Amino acid sequence: MGVNPLDLIREYLPFFASGTLFTIGFSLAGIVFGTILGLLVCFGKMLRNKVLSAPFVCYITFFRGTPLFVQILIIHFGVVPAVFHQSNGIISGIIALSLNEAAYIAEVFRAGIQSIDEGQTEAARSLGMDRVQAMRYVILPQAVRRVLPPMGNEFISLIKDSSLLAAIAAPELTYWAQAMGAQYAIVWTPYLTISFIYLILTLGMSAIVNRLERRMATK
Amino acid sequence: MMIKVENLKKSFGANEVLKDINLEVQKQEVVVVIGPSGSGKSTLLRCINQLEDITSGHVYIEGTDIADKKANINKIRQDVGMVFQQFNLFPHMTVLDNILLAPTKVKKISREEARVKAMELLGKVGLEEKADAYPDSLSGGQKQRIAIARALAMEPKMMLFDEPTSALDPEMVGEVLDVMKQLARDGMTMVVVTHEMGFAREVGDRVIFMDGGYIVEENEPRQLFEYPQEERTKAFLSKVL
Repeated sequence: MGVNPLDLIREYLPFFASGTLFTIGFSLAGIVFGTILGLLVCFGKMLRNKVLSAPFVCYITFFRGTPLFVQILIIHFGVVPAVFHQSNGIISGIIALSLNEAAYIAEVFRAGIQSIDEGQTEAARSLGMDRVQAMRYVILPQAVRRVLPPMGNEFISLIKDSSLLAAIAAPELTYWAQAMGAQYAIVWTPYLTISFIYLILTLGMSAIVNRLERRMATK
Repeated sequence: MMIKVENLKKSFGANEVLKDINLEVQKQEVVVVIGPSGSGKSTLLRCINQLEDITSGHVYIEGTDIADKKANINKIRQDVGMVFQQFNLFPHMTVLDNILLAPTKVKKISREEARVKAMELLGKVGLEEKADAYPDSLSGGQKQRIAIARALAMEPKMMLFDEPTSALDPEMVGEVLDVMKQLARDGMTMVVVTHEMGFAREVGDRVIFMDGGYIVEENEPRQLFEYPQEERTKAFLSKVL
């Protein structure tokens, strides 16, 4: 052997740097689109009309009940080529993570909304607010506080799960670690390096969520 | 006629809670509803502003049938203030914002204008200094007085009180009842479900005794408390007086 691991890391540093940015990018996209879509799916599932809510129930069941890895493969090799006439790991990655995250966020939000005492809605309605106003001004602000910790957990999972995108050649951290491992036939150096980077990302995320929680709790 | 209830029935599944209720409440009248727990008094109150859907019969608020699909229940509820046993203040807002929310969002009154009115109401319930406090920092009696102020901010034509003092420590009951008495003196139309017989006697224009989903007896307070006609009324009063 005789090759210094630090030299190898130095050589791959630009790739790890861009890989980190991609991992952050995929995670952010998943968080933003997943949260927006998740809220819509959550309201869809809570519709009183069973026929209207059925598609949303199916959506959640599918995306929570099948492996994310399988969803990534279906979207990358099936859905994206069918729609865009070519495959693209970055687009597939964002779509897969967002759709999957949305299903989990929808359930987190639904639990949060339903955990708010019925009396809050009744008080709002008795003051003349309609359903939407009661949700917007009274229920959601309280639910958001309550769902912040489980949302933080979802976001942390999302950062880690984005590593699966290496399988469709999306140029994120794990992809470059695999490349490095294959080039030099080594294991420890690439995977310990990206483990360390993932740890920084997940710890950073939980620090952000903790801070948000504290800020909201002091109000 | 502010409230008219006609042949009202309400079931939860197979359990019929209200069985043919008829009731009229005139403008500025204070009607007190008493009865054992499970008699349907709270359900009756909740049917009056459609927090519960009625199973059959009619509820008219100022002549409008609230079960009618064309009736705008949100508009009607603005005229019918409600005070709950558990206060139901919005815990994520200050006292002032609790009071301002509905006038500014529902009636679209400017915040400045609503604020003047809100401070006036806080003065009326004796809690001006709590405007910027959060509900969690208040005692039960203070919370309920704020809840009354919040309902009054919509300038309702009538008020429904659902056991407003039942969740309070005994020493706080008086402060809430005092606010309600003042409201009655100011001419507010009120329907009050309560276990406070002293209040019923002193403030009520009419007392209704409910049991088993029926209005068993109704009369002016002195008559009902001193000369109850029905056996069930006598049995209930002998336990609570």
